[in-house]
Amino acid sequence: MTTAKRDLHSVFNRRALLISGGGTVAMGAIVSRLAYLQAENLVTDTYTEEARDNRFDQRIIAPPRGILYDRFGEKLAVTSPDYRVFIIPEQVGVKNLEPTIRRVAEILGLGEDVIQRRLRDARAAKRSDIVIIRAGLRWDEFSAVNVRLPELPGVRADASSIRRYPYDIAFAHPIGYVQKPNQREIDAVIAEGDERRAVYLKNPDVRVGKAGLEAYLEKQIHGEAGWRMVEVNAAGRVIDEVGGETREPVPGPGVVLSIDAECQRGAMERMAGMSASCVVIDVVTGDLVVMASSPGFNPNEFVNGISPARFKELNEDQYKPLFHKSVTGAYKPGSTFKICTGIAAVTGGLPENFRVNCPGYYTFGGRAFHCWRRGGHGTVGFHDALKQSCNVFFYQAGLHAGQQRIADTARMLGLGQKYDIGVPSMVPGIVPDEAWWKSKRGAEPFPPGMILNTAIGQGDLLTTPLQLAVMMARVANGGKEVMPRLVREGPGVAPLKEARQLPLSQDGIRRVLDGIFGVASEPGGTAYRSMGNLELWYDPATNKVVDAATAPPGYKQVQVGGKTGTAQVRVITAAERGSGVKGNQNLPWKLRDHSLFVCHGPVHNPRYACAIVVEHGGTLEQYLGGGSAAAAPIARDVMRLVLLRDPSAMPAAKIAELEPHLRGPAKGRA
Amino acid sequence: MSISSSLQGRPRGTSEKLSRLNWAIITLLCALAVTGVIMHFSVAEGSWAGRPLSHGGRFAVVLAIVIGVALLDARIWMAAAYPVYFGALALLVGVELFGETRMGATRWLSLGPVSLQPSEIMKIGIVLALARYYHNIDPRNAGSLLWSIPPLLMIAAPVALVMHQPDLGTSMLIAAAGVGIMFLAGLRWRYIVPAGIAAVGGAIAAYFFVLQQYQRDRINTFLNPEADPLGTGYHVAQSKIAIGSAGLFGKGYLQGTQSQGDFLPEKHTDFIFTMIGEEFGLIGAVAVLGLYFALFILTMAVSARARTMFGRLAAAGIALTLALYVFINTSMVIGLVPVVGIPLPLISFGGTAMLTLMTGYAIVLSIDLHRDQSSTRGFLW
Repeated sequence: MTTAKRDLHSVFNRRALLISGGGTVAMGAIVSRLAYLQAENLVTDTYTEEARDNRFDQRIIAPPRGILYDRFGEKLAVTSPDYRVFIIPEQVGVKNLEPTIRRVAEILGLGEDVIQRRLRDARAAKRSDIVIIRAGLRWDEFSAVNVRLPELPGVRADASSIRRYPYDIAFAHPIGYVQKPNQREIDAVIAEGDERRAVYLKNPDVRVGKAGLEAYLEKQIHGEAGWRMVEVNAAGRVIDEVGGETREPVPGPGVVLSIDAECQRGAMERMAGMSASCVVIDVVTGDLVVMASSPGFNPNEFVNGISPARFKELNEDQYKPLFHKSVTGAYKPGSTFKICTGIAAVTGGLPENFRVNCPGYYTFGGRAFHCWRRGGHGTVGFHDALKQSCNVFFYQAGLHAGQQRIADTARMLGLGQKYDIGVPSMVPGIVPDEAWWKSKRGAEPFPPGMILNTAIGQGDLLTTPLQLAVMMARVANGGKEVMPRLVREGPGVAPLKEARQLPLSQDGIRRVLDGIFGVASEPGGTAYRSMGNLELWYDPATNKVVDAATAPPGYKQVQVGGKTGTAQVRVITAAERGSGVKGNQNLPWKLRDHSLFVCHGPVHNPRYACAIVVEHGGTLEQYLGGGSAAAAPIARDVMRLVLLRDPSAMPAAKIAELEPHLRGPAKGRA
Repeated sequence: MSISSSLQGRPRGTSEKLSRLNWAIITLLCALAVTGVIMHFSVAEGSWAGRPLSHGGRFAVVLAIVIGVALLDARIWMAAAYPVYFGALALLVGVELFGETRMGATRWLSLGPVSLQPSEIMKIGIVLALARYYHNIDPRNAGSLLWSIPPLLMIAAPVALVMHQPDLGTSMLIAAAGVGIMFLAGLRWRYIVPAGIAAVGGAIAAYFFVLQQYQRDRINTFLNPEADPLGTGYHVAQSKIAIGSAGLFGKGYLQGTQSQGDFLPEKHTDFIFTMIGEEFGLIGAVAVLGLYFALFILTMAVSARARTMFGRLAAAGIALTLALYVFINTSMVIGLVPVVGIPLPLISFGGTAMLTLMTGYAIVLSIDLHRDQSSTRGFLW
């Protein structure tokens, strides 16, 4: 080897060594980087946490809502298993989305509108979101989908839980329903800065109360969500359900209502096909035994999202099925208000022997105010005036009492106010007096004639069926300020307090009760034909009510007191009066008068008060003196049912007995 | 046999040749390939079907061919150097003209039923051609600028073509291997330093004027991976999570939560090192790196032992290519360099890279076996 060559070889060797050294340095760099990542993780746990977050996804388990029971423990709203089919759009793929949804729709027989909506949902869904195609499947539908799942990638069927209302329409109004939170509600929660709750609300299993008690008691009965850590892959698909950490949801506590399901259902059945409302209240405790509005709707339809077409149909129905008439329907009380006017007049010093001559009209301020009976009632006293619902008598009784005293009495009897019974969207109604007039009309002089309209329950007065029932109850119980209640027992419900005695004239109450006894239980009373014979008898020793057919000798007939009423929907013109008021049956339904009836019973031991309003239920007979428009016959059947069952006499259900297992945690959470 | 026996080297029998093969290198190659099989078994979530068997089978076949070829005279590689290089260059031009576009890059050339990537052939071609070039010139001229012009052109032509495909990773690999051989051949430092400075300047200029947007994105993502965690940065972010959360001993074979949960993309190809890191921890990753490092050192030793300049430069060039593969891949998955799409040789799934590297090792083994041949005189020309 030459020197030059050796030099060159040594150059190569030096450089090869350098390259090897470079390789070693590079290797060292990678090893130290690997070690650094470990060390970093050792200190901060960053990667371990991210790996866990990566690997596990917190799946929310919606808690079962508190069960709503009727007063005897009958379940009115429950959380039950729900079979549903859903798709994971990401797994289906954009191209297959429509064919897949169509195929599922075909299996389940879903319409084009549903397909289009689900398609829209699926396209808007985020990565790993699920889109429920149909919930509330029957077992056969569920099976039909299940067997075809292998040919439907990205489609799943599972059992979830869902709110159900076993009584369908019967409790739709007082209980309401739950639904998925809408975007507005979610936005509101986001605006409050509660991101976690917003995420929770977006979960497809979560429902919140939207109407009735469900909405009112939302916070109390929703329960506490649980969660389950499931192992997921990068696509968000669950690869392992088990093994992950789990926190069981805490079911919401149950609530016992005052309503008796039997009576409620009876009332709903009785009002079927009518636009009507019925409230039955315990005059001692204020328990609402019946709070029914007809027509009802099926709350189960709402839980999984009602179709817009179906909602439109319900919403535009002229019988207003979605409308909770018992508390949001404000009607002129008509002659039922004479109960109030009568008490006010006696309080105002109306003499015992006060009598008026009724020629069929009363002239006041140069204007004729009419009685419903064109020929008049002749000379009538307090008792007969109520019994025959003579307007002319009550015009003058009203004048005797004065506007303010009538208004005060009306408020004491429970009109013109809202009740915190757990039903949202209640209206207060109107009890007109000078203060109210000023707030409405300002400086305009108070019309002196207003008192006459008020005295017979027309004019500006507006009352709800619930208020009318309270009025009847407070009269029937001798003037005690009984407060209505819908929830007997539940979170945050105070125990019943003894009702305060109202500063009402006891004499007035006595005379009114006497008069309305005549209405319902004496021949010639405006409701006698309906209410005169309930076909119920009672044991004078125990007050036990039995059916007339099974009554042993010695029992007495059950009697009730009541008052009819008609709320004018249209203004009757002088010309019309001249030619004879048109019979209601000849008028379009929408223009017919509302028919009202309030009553209480049994007279021997008053326990229940009832108020019925039948929208546009007025009939000609009422004008002709029968008084038995649509409302009284319903009252008769409902009262008969209530008196016979006598729910207040039976021991009510207790949460502690219905849900013994829930007592501990429920207390702990409070 | 007739050719070799007519040469000055001692005549040898096949069995003797076999026994003189560099079995240490072969063992390391096998160890790496077996690592690959083990990892593909895990990628397949514990199933032999598909990749694990196919990877192992392919390696076995290729290894047999490699050993057979290694027994042939090393000088045939020198003879083949320019034809391979220019053939590959012609194919690269062919790709440019008739190439098949897959996944946004034109790298494949269809020749009947076979589709091949000429850029892979070029990885070997450049090493052989430069080794041949420096073998033939007067060693004293190797360091000079003038004599460095042909090698520079030989590097620049394929690099430009491959970069245009576009395949940044492979063009970098070719360029680095080429420049490495020039360095080993004795290019003077006074040229290397300014050239290095110019290269950095050129890289910056290239970033703005030559690179495609997706390549720029990769670099940007590399510099700031958190900016786009679900885009290009996702791979690296997931890879770092997997490795970082593994600990010293890893999460256990088949237990890698990130890789088994599909969080890790490309785990059977470019990101397989992450899986090793996750399932076998720091120890496992360092062990695999150790295998590569041993292979690299043994290959450099082959280079140092070779008597001919061709043998030295070719073996060193292949060692360099291996080191670059491993360095670029591993530093890519741990976020040291941008994601460029370079597989981990012999472990990542994919026939092309295995074939390229094993061809390289056929040459290395052959060079080692015939290291005593100091001259080419009398051979073929």
